[in-house]
Amino acid sequence: MKAQKLIIGIGNRFRGDDALGCLLADALRARVPQDVEVIEHNGEPASLIDCWQERQSVILIDAVSSGAEAGTIHAIDLQARGLPEQFRSFSTHAFGIAEAVELARVLNKLPARIGFYGIEGSCFSAATELSPVLQSAARILQQRILDDL
Amino acid sequence: MTEAGKTRTIKVDYLARVEGEGAMFLKINDGVLSDVQLRIFEPPRFFEALLQGRKFSEVADITARICGICPVAYQMSAVHAVEQAFGVTVDGPLRALRRLLYCSEWIASHALHIYMLHAPDFLGYPSAVHMARDYPALVEQGLALKKTGGELMSLVGGREIHPVNVRVGGFFKVPSRRELQQQVAGLERARDIARATVRQVSRFDFPDFEQDYTFVALSHPDEYPLNQGRIRSNKGLDIAASEFGAHFEERHVRHSNALHCVMKDSGQSYHVGPLARYALNGHLLSADIQSEARLAGLGAVCNNPFKSIIVRALETLFACEESLRIIAEYQEPQRSFVEVAPRKSVGYAATEAPRGILYHRYEMNENGDILSAIITPPTSQNQKMIEDDLRALVPRYLSEPDETLRWRAEQAIRNYDPCISCATHFLKLNVERT
Repeated sequence: MKAQKLIIGIGNRFRGDDALGCLLADALRARVPQDVEVIEHNGEPASLIDCWQERQSVILIDAVSSGAEAGTIHAIDLQARGLPEQFRSFSTHAFGIAEAVELARVLNKLPARIGFYGIEGSCFSAATELSPVLQSAARILQQRILDDL
Repeated sequence: MTEAGKTRTIKVDYLARVEGEGAMFLKINDGVLSDVQLRIFEPPRFFEALLQGRKFSEVADITARICGICPVAYQMSAVHAVEQAFGVTVDGPLRALRRLLYCSEWIASHALHIYMLHAPDFLGYPSAVHMARDYPALVEQGLALKKTGGELMSLVGGREIHPVNVRVGGFFKVPSRRELQQQVAGLERARDIARATVRQVSRFDFPDFEQDYTFVALSHPDEYPLNQGRIRSNKGLDIAASEFGAHFEERHVRHSNALHCVMKDSGQSYHVGPLARYALNGHLLSADIQSEARLAGLGAVCNNPFKSIIVRALETLFACEESLRIIAEYQEPQRSFVEVAPRKSVGYAATEAPRGILYHRYEMNENGDILSAIITPPTSQNQKMIEDDLRALVPRYLSEPDETLRWRAEQAIRNYDPCISCATHFLKLNVERT
């Protein structure tokens, strides 16, 4: 039986601030209630859509690069709207998370509740630590997600 | 309509539904096509220089990073080249597992291109998301195929994107029979979907456009090629990978950050990828798949690049069947790799990436440190071919409005599933000092 609530941390642990989703997934896993599952995901669209099937509520977490100030927290209700255009550039074959969400919407495969939390990153080069501004933003977002559960 | 004395310029500043950053430029003077450029402006990535000084044991992991869609191809060409240099042969179940891993990449990569990137061209949609509104079942088929390929890659390769389980001599860890058996049900479904895909895409409307291509692909006496074979063409070429540099040459052109690879003698373009593999090896597909090809309207050779979508679907069906065969025959090996001993040497290999031949050459010292590396990906080989296709195709549509012409030209580029990120991993820098 799948947990009804799923948190998906998306990213790459070796690309600086792109590790945000993975590291927040680590931190949240130990703190969420029992009925919540937390997973890490590489953002591959087909398996992303697959892993949120049969879930009532899904939260996606990822670092973004949209031109906003580093550390800015973006919160988007994906049932109400898609990811903005400026979030869409970093995906292989131009087919990434935004396209996965829109395909799922068209195919009636979006969960009843699905939200996206992104934090604006500043450094996506090879590194295994978040930049300081993202570390503090990640702590704020972690608490916000726990409060919302 | 075109008017006398008028210059018409068709530009696509950012090509959609291709991997990486490229643009297209067409110039039409007085109703005559005068210039065609596939402009690749994705920044060069210098992987060949990055490899210098690294250990032979690192090639699989470093080169896998060149591409998120075909990392297995890079890993396979890399380890085969190093093994050839060290005089090592990997066979039996380890060879079969490599073939299985390659099949998983073909399934995932071809499914992405067929359904998400290329099919919208034929059905008249700007994207797969738009297409999904009217053809939801079609898109779900693509997602299911891609998922199956990804799961198989995760099992054999260690993970789905940039696999980590490949090493010179074999693998770090081999799957058990039981683990592979768990893939069978998914692969059987994928095989059925792939068969349906062949039939669906063969009903698309294809422009009547054929070229007298020089097809270049690996060719193996006993099997449809993935990892091994000689490099052959339909015009008489028959060479080992070690002779690649004597017959092909990479040239820099001003408008592209990716080198153009041409035939050395003639300077002419040539065609790598599914159509080339099919032309040279179609007789090695199973009777069942050959029958599907005939039903889909293909002869022994297909010279219409728009029909590459049918051949990709046939190859997806092949990759599913081949995976099932390998799993059925698999015996877990005693060891996950064979030992290799470095020596001062040069090694060469070409394998069949989803988009065509991927050539690697490594020169190493007695410790196995890499002294020089050459990597020639399929998209750099197809770059000039794509421009030649456009030169032949565009004049047919000059009376069409710009929008139609632009769309038809973009579709012709996507026939090759170009991977621009792969093609720009190098750039020769000529520094002139006076």
